[in-house]
Amino acid sequence: MPQALSNLHLKVLFFGRLRELTGFSEESLEIPAGTTLADIFDRYAARFPKLASFRSSLVASRNQEFASWDTPVLDDDTISFLPPVSGG
Amino acid sequence: MLNAAENDLFALVHEPIDTAALAREIRADRDGASVTFDGFVRNESHGRRTLYLEYEAYEPMALAKMREIGQSIHEKFPIHRLTIVHRLGHLEIGETSVFIAVSAPHRRAAFDACRYAIDTLKRIVPIWKKEFFNDGAVWAEGELPPAPPSASKSAS
Repeated sequence: MPQALSNLHLKVLFFGRLRELTGFSEESLEIPAGTTLADIFDRYAARFPKLASFRSSLVASRNQEFASWDTPVLDDDTISFLPPVSGG
Repeated sequence: MLNAAENDLFALVHEPIDTAALAREIRADRDGASVTFDGFVRNESHGRRTLYLEYEAYEPMALAKMREIGQSIHEKFPIHRLTIVHRLGHLEIGETSVFIAVSAPHRRAAFDACRYAIDTLKRIVPIWKKEFFNDGAVWAEGELPPAPPSASKSAS
């Protein structure tokens, strides 16, 4: 398998009901190059099975921008999976 | 465009919002109108009596999205100044959670911009509200921001 020399280091943020579900608001992650936002969500869904049911009602973000699930992540990215917003 | 967006004010605060001061602040002699929106905490939700609310935000992203809204407002409407302030943390019934004020030479642009600001904020700004009742608490049902098109189609 083609592999970058070093793994990517990310910060993953959780808010609202997802923060409550995981029990933390922030985690550092080391993953292989070529990983997408969907791949990372799947890792968390494996760790926290209740997360999986939220997948269709979340939007992913990468570096403070909404991002499609197939977006590849890069080193030093900050990513999050955002529940429907309810400000106002 | 009457004015660049750098005179606008966007903030997330943990203290009560001084709405009167903000409404005064955005006015200038060349304006002829200002429109304000004061969103505050209602005492019920779907027939249940609300005790209080808690708001949280992805703060840097929320501020960035508020600035984006300001930018697009200056492109769409001939307004002078805009402020959007959202409060976070614990809010009691009747307290202002969001305040928007827009000044413009003429009323129509001010009305339209203010409406656009609150409608867009509720759709894309990453802020979440938890409602507390006598018998529990729930995260408010919100709106899912539109996801951008697939990454494979966009240059990166």
